[in-house]
Amino acid sequence: MKTLQISGTMAALAWAVLSLLALPAFIVIPVSFTDTRYLSLPEEGLSLQHWRTFLTSREWLSSIWQSLWIATVSTAMAVVAGTLCAVGCWRLSSRISEHVRTAMILPLAVPTIVYALGIYRLYVQLDLVGTALGVVLAHAVTGLPYVVLTVSGSLSNLDPRLEQAARGLGASVGQTLRWVIVPNIMPGVLSGAIFAFIHSWDELIVVIFIGGRALFTLPRRMWDGINDNLDPVIAVVATGMILFTLLILTAELSLGARRTESTPAA
Amino acid sequence: MSAKPLVRFTDVSKSYDGKTDAVRTLNLDVQTGEFLTLLGPSGSGKTTTLTMLAGFEQPTSGRIFVSDEDVTTVPVDKRGIGMVFQNYALFPNMTVGENIGFPLRVRGLARAAIGEKVARALAMVRLEGLADRRPQQLSGGQQQRVAVARALVFEPRLVLLDEPLGALDRQLREQMQYELKQLHRRLDVTMVYVTHDQVEAMTMSDRVAVFSTGLLRQVAEPRRLYEEPESLFVAQFLGESNALAATIAQRDGAQCKAVLPTGETIVAAAVGTCAAGGEADLVLRPEKVALGAAALGCTNRFPARVVEATFLGDQLRVRLMTLGREDFVIKLPNAAGQGAIEPGSAVEIGWRAEDCRALAR
Amino acid sequence: MLSLAERRPTGRTAYWLIMLPAVAMLLLIYLVPLADVLLTSVTDPKPGFGNYAMLFTSSSVQRALLTTLRIAAITTAVALLLGYLVAYAMRAASSRTQRFMLFCVLLPFWISVLVRSFAWLTLLRGSGPVNNALMAMGLIDEPLALVRNETGVLIGMIHVMLPYAILTLYANMRGIDIGLVAAARSLGASRLQAFRMVFLPLTRPGLIGAGTLVFILSLGFYVTPALLGGGKVLMIAEYVAVQINDTLRWGLGTMLATTLMIAVLGALWALSRVVDVKRLFGA
Repeated sequence: MKTLQISGTMAALAWAVLSLLALPAFIVIPVSFTDTRYLSLPEEGLSLQHWRTFLTSREWLSSIWQSLWIATVSTAMAVVAGTLCAVGCWRLSSRISEHVRTAMILPLAVPTIVYALGIYRLYVQLDLVGTALGVVLAHAVTGLPYVVLTVSGSLSNLDPRLEQAARGLGASVGQTLRWVIVPNIMPGVLSGAIFAFIHSWDELIVVIFIGGRALFTLPRRMWDGINDNLDPVIAVVATGMILFTLLILTAELSLGARRTESTPAA
Repeated sequence: MSAKPLVRFTDVSKSYDGKTDAVRTLNLDVQTGEFLTLLGPSGSGKTTTLTMLAGFEQPTSGRIFVSDEDVTTVPVDKRGIGMVFQNYALFPNMTVGENIGFPLRVRGLARAAIGEKVARALAMVRLEGLADRRPQQLSGGQQQRVAVARALVFEPRLVLLDEPLGALDRQLREQMQYELKQLHRRLDVTMVYVTHDQVEAMTMSDRVAVFSTGLLRQVAEPRRLYEEPESLFVAQFLGESNALAATIAQRDGAQCKAVLPTGETIVAAAVGTCAAGGEADLVLRPEKVALGAAALGCTNRFPARVVEATFLGDQLRVRLMTLGREDFVIKLPNAAGQGAIEPGSAVEIGWRAEDCRALAR
Repeated sequence: MLSLAERRPTGRTAYWLIMLPAVAMLLLIYLVPLADVLLTSVTDPKPGFGNYAMLFTSSSVQRALLTTLRIAAITTAVALLLGYLVAYAMRAASSRTQRFMLFCVLLPFWISVLVRSFAWLTLLRGSGPVNNALMAMGLIDEPLALVRNETGVLIGMIHVMLPYAILTLYANMRGIDIGLVAAARSLGASRLQAFRMVFLPLTRPGLIGAGTLVFILSLGFYVTPALLGGGKVLMIAEYVAVQINDTLRWGLGTMLATTLMIAVLGALWALSRVVDVKRLFGA
C-alpha cells in the first residue's frame, strides 16, 4: 500500500537503461589491455604494451604531473575563497549577500565555451596564455561554485547562534571561524574540495583555448590524441582517469557516510 | 440489521515476512448496515485487516467475501469500496470538486451527472461553495469532510475509514465523530472504522472488534465489551481494571471461588473454560467497588488502607493498599454527602461476585 | 581609550571582508571576460549589431543553430522518457535497491565527459565491439554508421544528460505521497488511470525542471558533438570554436557565444519563476 507499483517489463527496461548508463565507460578498461596496435578489444590475449608505452612516455607523464598540480593549486584557491564567501553569505544573509551567492553559481550555468572565449581574450592582453598561472586562476574561479554550494549546504544545518555565542564569549571573527565555524562544516568543505578537484582534473575546453603551446593537461593531451590518431594508449589514459575519479569518489562517499552518522537525529 | 453478513473473513492470515503473522486466522463478519470498529494498539493487525478488505494487500491464506462473492483476489479498483485515509490523501493537483468527482470520472460517468452528484456530496458534508478550492487551502476539518464525501459519492455499499480523525484536535474530532455517525445513520451504509482510541470506538460503533498481536480478541457491542470482557487484554485496553492473579479453588456453574497468592478467597463470575485448579485473572472495574458502609452487603469484603486520593471533579480516584498490592484502584462518584478520604486511613471495601470476572489464563 | 573590540572591524564588516577574495576572483577572472565577450560581439569588426544580423542572414549560422536546437530537443525528449522510467523504477524499488540504482546513476555522472565520449567512440566505431557483435550474430552484413554522424552525437549526449534528468525527476518523485496513488486505486481508478490522473500530474514540476535543465545544458555542448560527430555535426559551441581557431572571426564567435549565454540564462531564469529550483534538486 505504501509502495509504488511497477510492471515487470517496465522494471526490466529501467534496469536495461541503468546498465547502458553505468557500463559503457568501462569498455576502455579491456581495450587498454589489447594486444593489437589499434583501438579494439584484446584478440589473442592480454597485453601490457600500451600501459608500458604510457608509463614510459615523457609527454604523458608530464601531463599527469601538470594536471595534478594545477588541480591541487586551483582547488586550494577555490576552497579558501569559496568557504570564506559561503560563511560570509550565511552570516550576513542579506539581499546583497544572497545575490553574491547566486552570482557564485554562474560558472556552473554559463556554457563553458562562452567563458573560454572571454578568458582567452583577457589572457592575450595579460600575456597569460600558455602559463600555468593562467590555467590555475581560470580553474579556481570555475571551481568556486562547487565549494560555495557544498559549504552552504553544510552551513544551512549549522545553528547561527553558535557564531553569536562564540562572539559573545569574546572570540574575534577569525577565532570564531577557525575554532567554531570551520570545524563544524569540515565535511562540506572537503566535499567541495573533491568536486573542485575533479572539475579541474577533467576540464578541457578552457585549457584548449588558454593552454597555448606549452600547457598540455591530461584531458587536453587526450583530446589531441583522439583527434590525431585513435591509439590504444588513449584507452590506457581513460582507464587511469576513471580509476582516479572512482578513487576520489569513494573518498567522498565515505565522507558522506561519516557525515550522516555524525548528524544528530532531527 | 439483517442476518446475512455483508463482509465475511474466513480463516484469514497475513504474513509480510513469512515468519510472523500480522493477522492470524481471523474469522469476522460485518453485518449489513452496521458501524463496526476495529480497535487495537499499533501492530495489532487492525490496519492489516482493513488493508486486506480494501484490496491493497492479499491474505497469505483464507478468504474474504463481500455479499457472498469471494473478493480475495479482486484488485483494489474493482471492489467498489469507499475509503477514507488517515491523512485524507486528497489529490493536490485537483480542486475539491475534482477530488470528489474522481471516483465518478474513473467510472466513466457523464460530466453533467458528475457535477450533480458532486454538488450533492458537497452539500451532504456542508461544504457548498468550496468546489473550486484546492485541498491545501482548506482547514483540517474541511479536508476531512472532502475525503468523506469522496468516499461516499459513488454510493459504495461499504466504506472503510482508516484512523480518519487522528490528525484533528480534540474538539474538532468530537464534532467529526458526531457528523460521521449522523452520515452513517442517514445513508444506511456499512462502515468499518479503524482506530486505536477506545473512547472513539465506544462512542461511534454498533460493535467493536478488539485486536492485539494479530489476533481478534473479542467482538461485541461497546457496552458488552466493557461489562463482559473475555480476556485480560480487552479488560485492560478498554477502560481501567484491577487485575488479580489467582487459582480457582472451586467452580459452581456461573460462579467460582478463587484463592489469591496472599490467601484471601474471592467469589467471582466464572468466564469460559475457568475450572477448579486452573490459573485465572480476576478483573474488577474500579467503579464497581464500594467503600465503607456501602460495602456491607457485598459478597467480597476486605480491609484496605488509603494510599492516595485524587479529586477528578466528577469522581474521586482512590489508590489503596489491599490484598497484597499497593495499586488497587477504586473510583467513587462525587455524590452528595461523600466525606473526605484521608491517606493512611483504614477503610473497608467490597464488591458483588458478578462484578468480578475470573478469566482463565 | 578604545577597547580592542572597537578597533577591530565590527562583526558585519568582517564578514563582508572575508567574502572579498571570492568576489574579486569572480569579478576579475570571470565577469570581466564575459563582459568582454559581450562587448566584442557589438564592436568587432565594427560597432553595431551587424554580427547579430547574421543570425537572420547567414545560412551556415542558421544551420548550426538548427542543428543545435534539433539535437538538444531530441536529447531532451529521449532523456526525459528514459529518465522518467528509471526515476519511477527507483521510486518503486526498496530503499536498498534505490541506493544501488542511485549509485549506477552517479557513477557515469562523475566520469569525465571526454572519457565517456571516447568510450562511446571506441564502442560504436565501424570496427568497434558493437558492430562486430551485431555482425557476428548475423543481424547485419556491414557495419552500421553509429558514430561520426548525428546518431553518435545523440547517443553520447543522451548518455551525458540522462543522469541530470533522472536525478531531477527522482528528487521530485521522492516528494510525492505514494498514498495518493493507493487512494486513487481504492476509489476505482485502474493502474493506468491512477498514473495518468494522479501521479503524472504531480510529477509535472519535475518534468518541466528536468526538461529545461537538459535542454539548456545540451545547447552549450562541445566535447561530445565534436568527438562523436566527427566534425560533420556542427553544434553552436563547436561552430564558435571553429570561428575563433580557424577563421579568427571574433565578432561572429562572440555574438554566437553571447546568444547562447543569454538563451541559457534566460531559460534558467524562466525556470526559477515556474518552479522552486532549489526544491527541485532536493536541496
